[in-house]
Amino acid sequence: MPDDRVIVVGAGPAGMAAAVALAEGGQRVLLVDQARTPGGAVHRAPLPGVAPLGLPEHRRRWAALTARATAQASRIETAFETRFAGVDATGAVLLTGARNRLLQPRGVIVALGARERVLPRPGWTLPGVLTAGAIQTGLKTSGEAPQGRVVLAGSGPLLLAVGAELAALGRPPVAIIEAARPFGAGALGLPLAYLAEAARYRLRLLGVPVLTGSRLVEIVPGLEAMVDTPKGPRRFAADLIGLHDGIAPNVSGLGGPCPIPLLRAGDGREALGARAAMLDGTRAGQAMLALLAGRPVPPEPAALIRQRAAQARLARIYARDEGAALDALPPDTILCRCESRSRADLAALGESPTGRDLRLTGRFGMGACQGRVCGEWVAHFAKTRDLGRPRLPLRPLSIADLLAVPAADTGD
Amino acid sequence: MLRLPFTQRGSRPLSGVATVSAEFDVAVLGAGIVGASCAWHLARRGARVVVIDASGPAAAASGASDGAVSVASKKPGVLARLATQSLLYTRTLAQDGPLRGHFHPRPAWYFATTEAELVALDALIAKLDALDGPVRSGRDGGAALLPGAGVLVRRLVEIRGEGHMTGYSAVRALLADPRIARLWPAAVAAIEPDDKGVTLALADGRSLRAGRVIAALGTSTPALFPGLPVRPLAGQLIITDRGAPGALEGALTAASYLIAKTADPSRLPEPPVVIDPLVTGQVLIGSSRVEHGDPARMDFDTILRLVRRAAAVWPALAERRVIRAFVGIRAAVADGLPIVGALPGFDRVLLATGFEGDGICLSALMGREVAAMALGDSPAEGVERDLAALSPARFEPAAREVAQ
Repeated sequence: MPDDRVIVVGAGPAGMAAAVALAEGGQRVLLVDQARTPGGAVHRAPLPGVAPLGLPEHRRRWAALTARATAQASRIETAFETRFAGVDATGAVLLTGARNRLLQPRGVIVALGARERVLPRPGWTLPGVLTAGAIQTGLKTSGEAPQGRVVLAGSGPLLLAVGAELAALGRPPVAIIEAARPFGAGALGLPLAYLAEAARYRLRLLGVPVLTGSRLVEIVPGLEAMVDTPKGPRRFAADLIGLHDGIAPNVSGLGGPCPIPLLRAGDGREALGARAAMLDGTRAGQAMLALLAGRPVPPEPAALIRQRAAQARLARIYARDEGAALDALPPDTILCRCESRSRADLAALGESPTGRDLRLTGRFGMGACQGRVCGEWVAHFAKTRDLGRPRLPLRPLSIADLLAVPAADTGD
Repeated sequence: MLRLPFTQRGSRPLSGVATVSAEFDVAVLGAGIVGASCAWHLARRGARVVVIDASGPAAAASGASDGAVSVASKKPGVLARLATQSLLYTRTLAQDGPLRGHFHPRPAWYFATTEAELVALDALIAKLDALDGPVRSGRDGGAALLPGAGVLVRRLVEIRGEGHMTGYSAVRALLADPRIARLWPAAVAAIEPDDKGVTLALADGRSLRAGRVIAALGTSTPALFPGLPVRPLAGQLIITDRGAPGALEGALTAASYLIAKTADPSRLPEPPVVIDPLVTGQVLIGSSRVEHGDPARMDFDTILRLVRRAAAVWPALAERRVIRAFVGIRAAVADGLPIVGALPGFDRVLLATGFEGDGICLSALMGREVAAMALGDSPAEGVERDLAALSPARFEPAAREVAQ
């Protein structure tokens, strides 16, 4: 049955801002998030009694936004612990988890946040190896740093942020391994807020080795990080290794064309960071209002364009040769974690495998993630972009949840 | 220029285009399971053969199929008889031929939950008895016959003698023969027969000569032969994650699937669901039958209906997760029979298409017989009449008038 709401997926800064913009424009909203509480990755709510982490200015902006959402409570219905399976070719949206519904909304805004990139490395599937983002989520929720020695490796500002948060909680990392050389003169062109943030992180990380121009080339069981530095190899024993190689838009397939307006917002659309995500959520909410009313979609706000320029500069500062790092991987390195398929398995498919060869014969991208994690690396080695689009659902769907969808939702 | 039946008026004339150097005895259009089998049989008999495909091996129905080599699921009559012959020949090719390791014998089960399905199971048993072939009905009874079957199941019939062959791996195995030349991605824009052979115009401007052409184009048939009544029929499929193997050794199929082969699928009482345990430990749940050819047209409504019925007859599915849902496209023919044989008046152009998801099962026999036709040999004993029933001549205006 047609629903008069717009579904906003993701209650982080972009989704929350989109929901507020829609509600303030008079549109009813269903705001969906897989977590128990709003906040997304940046403003992840801590468990009760745990002090929130994060920068004060981020917290102030979030508090102001949630106050506006509260004022619109009559128009914003929330569905937490609820997962979004995608939008199908008829415009229907399937939700599972706490709610199991097949809905037909007026429109959908997807604000699922960025995808955290992690380059494959020998040993990256060992127990004790996580993404730096996952470590951050854990400490933001629990307010506690993990026990034992932590090594953070890869590239990007998040490594410093997570390192600083670990230090603030009394357990600084053993080392931070950064492939780029981001602390040169190029950094001076960044907006002051970025520099201030970086300075605060560096201050908290005093005494922690931050090895730039260095790569974690292998993780050996028992857990040891083998690092290539400009001054020669080093090894760090660790209990936990957090990998991170930047963030990317989350463009994984939502399905084919659909008959209702479908917009993306925030880091999921374009990875521009937390400041821009809120701006982009507001933009998407206003664009959806315009689409539904048949009005022209307003142009991008200037502030968003400025954030894009700043992120482009940040990307240049963090420039590194990922292609060389990938090409240096030993043949037995696992590329597809779901199906345990290695670089050698890919090479066995021949010189220029088609998307079909990769999937059906190679079984790359055929597991639970449908190539959303490994697709970028498989594409590099196969020299093709034709991996086929990831199929729905966006993430595995419990059949028990599907059986709980009311029969009325399918017209039975 | 000769005007081929069933092609579009004014197909593009060839002029001054570069010619692919080699000349072939036979060009096979389409690298699906039927084209691959034709090519392998031609190569084995010493013909110079090239396989041309717009994208690559098993790119359409052959790659999306469930891989059943099944007689029980076939429409009674011509198709059930040909499927029987093909099953026997598939076993031979799997013993000491190119399909070694790709065909696996396994049992199958059909279930009924409704009155119409109970009747359809009677018809199934009668059909197999009449065939008197290698596929027989086995145990017949209630849900208790198969531990794990849901209480809604009113009747189960076991089928013995069938098997399974994964489409894309069989295609790869057949095309691995080094005597087969391959050309893909390359779309054929026009087929121009003359007294000495056939010129194929490729969409990229090149052209190619062959003595004969076999068009095993499946869902792409309408692009070159829009006059043939071949249309796309979409089916949604679901793949689960891996799990405990459970008691299901072969596909468990709704009897409404049998009804769908002979009746209007939109009037089916229940979705014609099939629950198929894959060699990977995953489970395939299929499939709807909807008249369109858009692989992007997936809808959750159909997925939910298939999953509900599947979990009702096999409750252990509730412990699995769906990791992938997608649309496969079959090439269906108006009268429900494939189109196999020479174009009327043009013995250099042969068709082998419109298998509507039965290509995996029929490919062994069809490859052998169409290769024989292309080399000017007569069909194997016992299949002449059934093969003749598949001839494209049945769609000629004259033939239609006689039929009426």
